[in-house]
Amino acid sequence: MNRTEFLLQMDEILGLKPGTLKGDEKLDELQNWDSTSLVSLIGLAETSNNVEISPEQVVGCSTVADLLRLAAAN
Amino acid sequence: MPSKVLQSLKYPVVAADILRKRHSLKQELLQQTNLLSTRIAILGGSTTAEIRSMLEIFLLVHGVRPEFYESGYNRYSEDVLFESPSLWSFKPDIVFIHTTWQNVLEFPELTDGEAEFEERVRREIARFESIWQKIHNDLGALIIQNNFDLPRTRPLGNLEAFQPSGRLNFLLRLNAEFANYARKHSRFLINDILYLSSRLGLDAWYGHTYWYNFHMAVTPTAAVALAQNIAGIVKSVYGKSKKCLVLDLDNTLWGGVIGDDGVHGLLLGRDHAVGEAFLDFQRYIKNLQRRGVILAVCSKNETENAKEGFSHPDSILKLEDFAAFKANWNPKPDNIRDIASELNIGLDSIVFVDDNPAERALVSNQLPEVATPEVGTDVSRFAEILEYERFFETDKIVRDDLSRADYYSANAQRSAHEAQFSNYGEFLKSLEMAAEIGSFVPIYLERITQLINKTNQFNLTTKRYTSAEVEAMSLDSEFITLYGRLTDKFGDNGLVSVLAGRIHDETVEVDLWLMSCRVLNREMELAMFDALIEQCRARGIRAIKGIYIPSKKNGMVANHYRSLGFARESESDESWQAWGYDIPESYLPKTRFISVFTKPQPVPANA
Repeated sequence: MNRTEFLLQMDEILGLKPGTLKGDEKLDELQNWDSTSLVSLIGLAETSNNVEISPEQVVGCSTVADLLRLAAAN
Repeated sequence: MPSKVLQSLKYPVVAADILRKRHSLKQELLQQTNLLSTRIAILGGSTTAEIRSMLEIFLLVHGVRPEFYESGYNRYSEDVLFESPSLWSFKPDIVFIHTTWQNVLEFPELTDGEAEFEERVRREIARFESIWQKIHNDLGALIIQNNFDLPRTRPLGNLEAFQPSGRLNFLLRLNAEFANYARKHSRFLINDILYLSSRLGLDAWYGHTYWYNFHMAVTPTAAVALAQNIAGIVKSVYGKSKKCLVLDLDNTLWGGVIGDDGVHGLLLGRDHAVGEAFLDFQRYIKNLQRRGVILAVCSKNETENAKEGFSHPDSILKLEDFAAFKANWNPKPDNIRDIASELNIGLDSIVFVDDNPAERALVSNQLPEVATPEVGTDVSRFAEILEYERFFETDKIVRDDLSRADYYSANAQRSAHEAQFSNYGEFLKSLEMAAEIGSFVPIYLERITQLINKTNQFNLTTKRYTSAEVEAMSLDSEFITLYGRLTDKFGDNGLVSVLAGRIHDETVEVDLWLMSCRVLNREMELAMFDALIEQCRARGIRAIKGIYIPSKKNGMVANHYRSLGFARESESDESWQAWGYDIPESYLPKTRFISVFTKPQPVPANA
């Protein structure tokens, strides 16, 4: 999954209009952010990259860009 | 037709799609009308936000709109035992206890022998029982309790399976004890996560990242499967499971085309790989039928050819297993409508299975109320797909379910018998009907609750009640409660009618009156009315107020109160009608064809 596709899927997960996320946002400042959002996004990153993300990788994840890196969606 | 978004909830469900589309799914599902409300407390041994979110989606799919209470992380025990004010004021209808193997407090030690093992089992079970008993006694809610999944690691390797100190051995024993409790307590159901995790695979069920970062005992993918399973249980509790399986024949129940291949040319039996798969599908269907699912045939065939297929020596299903049989060249939607009408069930109680995608598309398009799963053409998958959709999930198997097949078989005889009479009264008389009518008693509470929550057509108000509410009614002297059983010379129709009303001074307000469609036009409603009058007289009640709340499905009882001699009251409007009846001094029983045996009335606890 490339960067644009990943951002569009993130929009969908968060219930945002397609194209809302640009990649430089902080996660906890996102509109519609709730307790299940990060879990869903980690799930998306795992699925798109077909890897199991480690607990340590999630600890340092605070921006959309971090998630893009985890998903290797470049 | 479901929208593209809702289509993602149909088999095969891709968990990632559901997780991604949850916002749009929820918005679309909330557009539905006539949603049933319920209050669910989720008490978690781990984080439950993801489960709650998914559960909401799958409950909405079944027409149930939940309101949730969620305990704090790992406070499943404290919230109950210390009577959390917010939980107590929430008054849940259902408590779902989401515990997993991580919540076992004391696993056996390596040095434990049999005695220590048993003692640890006893203590762990006692801990859970104290929670369950308090919920039952104080909250009166139905409990849905996870059994235990298994950890991904096995410190003792294969010894885990049988050594007293093995965690797997211990967890399986706890599961057996949970099952034992469930068998003895009617308002306690198991959410079988041992099965779910096995089905999904432990690697997909549990993820270190989700546990260590979020304290989620299951992955988001597993949360989808788990929520789907719980929603299936809740659906069945509220009587929303399907009742009837309508089946095509050629290449659905046997391989080949009976009209072309003849009975001996059919693929059915152990001597052929595909024939064996058809045999197993038939066995699966037979098991559904044995526990009360009604079967019907809808096939494009000559009737005689179609019937001949069941004479195949290996056929597990027999002609008499089917309550309705439509084999002709009419369009299948027409035949399915006829089947629904013949069996007196709603189209939304039917599941249609056909290997032909064109027939599925036609039925799906013309009868959207009928569930038409995309079963494909591979018979070896049919049963799994039906299972996956949890169409026939049941929360309990009551005696009436087991005898339902007998009822429909007897019904065929009744229909044949009816054809011999030109006078309907003579037919009713010839049935030699006998009714047992009495106040709610514990032995029938499960069936009464089931009937209350399942019946849509002959149901004056379509009000739903939990078992606890039904039980409370039965113990309350301010209520008149009546159940009715009906037998005739062809067999036992079971408990088929329920009536209840609250007493206000000298009036009883009946807001629950329903009857199974299996006994329509038998005058059973008159027998119930006579019994109500008898009860009223015994308790000094002079008037009856009957409530009718119109729904999409209960049009058949729109004139029920008028036909009994009630007058419409002025406070009524079209969505809520009140009807009044003053009990005359000299009331003549209306029942003409039913011998009624009235059971002695038990005295309510607060009388």
